[in-house]
Order: sequence, then C-alpha cells, then structure tokens
Amino acid sequence: MTKLKQILLPFGTVPKKTRTLIFFSWIALIILMWFIGASSDKHIFPTPYDVFDGFKELYAQGLVTHIFSSLALCFISIFFAILISALLAYSWPIALLKPIGTMITKFRFLPFTGLTFFLTMMVNDARQMQIWILVIFLTTFLTTSMIGVVKDIPQEEFDHAKSLKCSRWEVLWQVVILGRLDYLFESIRQNLAIAWMMLVTVEAIVAANGGLGLLIKNSDKFMNHGRIVALQLIILLIGLSLDFFINFLRKALFRYSRI
Amino acid sequence: MSYSYHDTLIFVEDISVQYDETLIIKDVNFVEKDVVREGYGSTAQFIAIIGRSGRGKSTLLKALTGLVKPTTGKVFIKDFTRTEADAAKMVKEGDIGFVDQKYTLFRHKTVYQALFFALRKTQLSKEAKEDKISAYLDTWGLSAAKDKYPNELSGGQRQRTAIIEQLLSSDQFIVMDEPFSGLDVGNILEVKKSFDLLNSISEFHTVIFTTHDIELAIELAQVIYIIGYPTVAGALQNYGTIVARHDLRDMDLAWNPYSEKHAELYKKIVDEMMAS
Repeated sequence: MTKLKQILLPFGTVPKKTRTLIFFSWIALIILMWFIGASSDKHIFPTPYDVFDGFKELYAQGLVTHIFSSLALCFISIFFAILISALLAYSWPIALLKPIGTMITKFRFLPFTGLTFFLTMMVNDARQMQIWILVIFLTTFLTTSMIGVVKDIPQEEFDHAKSLKCSRWEVLWQVVILGRLDYLFESIRQNLAIAWMMLVTVEAIVAANGGLGLLIKNSDKFMNHGRIVALQLIILLIGLSLDFFINFLRKALFRYSRI
Repeated sequence: MSYSYHDTLIFVEDISVQYDETLIIKDVNFVEKDVVREGYGSTAQFIAIIGRSGRGKSTLLKALTGLVKPTTGKVFIKDFTRTEADAAKMVKEGDIGFVDQKYTLFRHKTVYQALFFALRKTQLSKEAKEDKISAYLDTWGLSAAKDKYPNELSGGQRQRTAIIEQLLSSDQFIVMDEPFSGLDVGNILEVKKSFDLLNSISEFHTVIFTTHDIELAIELAQVIYIIGYPTVAGALQNYGTIVARHDLRDMDLAWNPYSEKHAELYKKIVDEMMAS
C-alpha cells in the first residue's frame, strides 16, 4: 500500500527496479493498445503486420538509399548552419556586429512558404534549394541557442581571463570559443530534433533526390498506412540515434564537459 | 615582536567608482608597506577588507585590480622590474591577480595547461616554464592533479590552482574576493594553509582579501580596513569608503594566538560596522 502511494505521490521515493517496471509496463500497454485498436474491422491505425509489410516494401524500394540521401542533406545543412551561426554568435560580443546576430534570432518566426517562394526565383536546382531552406532555418535556431550560451557565461569567467592579462580577443577565444566548444555540440543536439523534422518536411515539399520525406509523401498519396507508420518509426529511430551519437561525441571529445 | 617597515608595496589614492548616476565608493586612500619581521625568512602582507553587504567591497577589489576602471583616483604598486628604491607603476588589468569566491578557472584547461597559460607572457624559455610549474605543483601539493580539469578537482585543489595561476601571472599581488565564503571547515583550513605557503614563499607577497568573518580577518590579517557608509556633517552617506583601519602589528595582535585583546578588537569592529 505504501509502495502504491509512493508511485502516485508527486516526488515520491521509488526504487530503480520499480521505475524500470513502470517504464516497461507502459511500453507493454502501448503495444497491447496497438494490437487491440487495430484488430477490429474499422481501424484507422495499421496493424503491426501492416507496418511490418510496410518495412519490407520500403526496403525493397531502396529505403537505405533514401536514408543516406536524407542523412547527407542533414549533415550538409547542419555543417553550413554551424559555420554561419558560429560566426554570428562569436561576433555577438562585438558592439558593431551585435545587431546582426540579434536580428537573425528573430527570423526564426518567419514562415516556411514565403521563403521558398523567393528561393525558387534564385535557385534552380531542387537539391540546392533543399539545402538553402534548411541552412537558413537552422541558422536562426542555432544562432539563438549559441547566443544564449554566450549570454549565460558568468562575469567571473571574463574577469578571470582578464586578470591573467588576456586581451579582449584572447578573452573571446579562451572563454567564449574554446571554453564553450562543448556547448556548441549541445546546441546542435538540442536543435537536431527541429532540423530532422524540418528536413523531412522540406524533402516532401521540394522533391529532389528522394529521401525519407519523399517516401512519406508518396505513401500518403496512396493512403498506405502501414508504410507511413513504418517510415515514422524509421525517422524516429534515426533521430534518436543521431541525438545519442552527438551526446556521445561531446562526452568523448570534451572530458571537462559537465552540462 | 620586532619588525620594520620598508618599501611601499601598494599606494591607493582617491579612488572612486560610479556607475551611471550611482556612486559606489569614494575617497578611498591607503598605503601598505613591506613589513619585515626579525628572524623570519619572509613575511607576506595580509590585508583584510571587511564591511556590511552593499558597501562596495567587491567594487573596491575590482578597482584595485584594474578590472573596473576607477572614475577617479589611481592605484600604484611596487615595480619589481626596476631597482631604485620605491619604484612604482600604475596598476593595469592583470598586474594584480584576482581570485573570486568561486575560484574560477578555465574549464577547458587542465591544471598544467592553465599554469602554462598563466606564464605565456613571461620571457622564460619553455624548459624554464616547465621547471617553474613543476616546482609550484610540488610545493602546493598539486603534482598528482596536474592533468585534471577543473570539474575533476577537489575544492582544495581548485583553490590552490586558482591562487598559483594568479601568482605566476601577476607575480606578487593577489586580491581575493570572499575566499572563505560558503566553505566548510576543511576547505577553510586548506585556504589557511595556502596563506601560510604564500607567507613562506616571498617577502613581497601581498594578499588583499574581503570577508564577512571578522574572527578570520583578525586571525589572518595584519591590517584590517573597514569599508562602510561614512557620516558627514551628522548624515550617513550612501557610498562606501574606508571608515577605519586597524594595524594589528602596532596593536601587538598580529602573528599572536587569539587572546582577550583580539576579542576586544572584534567588538570594536562590530560596532564600527554597525555604525557604517
């Protein structure tokens, strides 16, 4: 009875074993609900067998190639977005350049469609256009995160560097750039979910060399629910793997990192 | 105890700091000389600044180190690069080491890398720098921690690294903002040990520290300055300045065990603080 009280109580003290049991119970419940919900004749959600068939179908149609196409688009876009964001965030402490970084952070409220209209007039190649859309949007989010990191550096760290005879450029290099390199990885990780979500949407809007977004769009057209759920699961798993990988990389590269 | 005054180590003249319309400190003046004790290899100078919250202690420390540019006034320190008597130079950022109460270090540098960085502006060769660092690491008991990052250091190791990093960079002068704040008994002992080491290493080491702990100030310092709001023409002002100075050497209290006379000074300081 006391145990039951603890798992229902806010901030209740629950042993690790019980927490694991709760977690797996929820997973089992979801799977059970899936089986029950999809077992009747009139179901909107595909059965696990439909999803499995969806996987097989996707694999036969070159799923791996599409995954690599999406990953390539993701990495290229992130790479350019990091370069631009780093430049904007690291120049933010310079009074003359501060307004540029600040202005870019406001652009994250811009809608997708208006921008694609102008890009269509400037860029002809569909792949290039996908990259540009992603770079522009990712830059606004990454710059916001990175400027946030710079803003959060305690005054003591700047004073410490100055007391060691650091020039203002050395302070920028040592405290902001080198001293917060691990936070750059954390910013990427935190914005990866947005990037990955945008990427699938961009691939669906601007059809180019395939990709997971295009696969979803095609499946949607034919109302193939099994395929759609299978694709969603694949996208989710790849996103989670990227998140895990970047976090692992941060911890491996930066021993001093304790975010 | 027999002692004598020698070269001027620090000379503070009419310091005031104002942010926009707010005057924080005004008319701060003091001089501290090198004091040599007979029969001792070296005697570092420990100067405590105490006062109630908001009286401008931290601002004064930052003005002394050049981290905050004083609105008026100047700070001079002994120039060790010149041989003539009382050779002085005006303080600029980096001349006086600054250790804050969190013992801030570069988070991305190991102890060794941080100390090497602190020596980057000296004329020493790479080998001489390595030798100097090794000697310091050895003296301060940090040899085993030389490849550790700040997040891997214990509180005591962190304090010692922060102190010697500033010693290597600024040579003789260190300002410490609340070095005992929030520390447990063990850590306070570690800082006291660091003070002992500073005392034994160089005659010219000058440590200016702020604290809220009056007993610790009386125990460790040779001079205590009280910073508070002055009373001018019967009215309490709202800027900080030095309202009292206690030279524990002249009072025969410095370097002596805690006694009834120390307790009397404690009461006097409390009264002075409450009145300012």
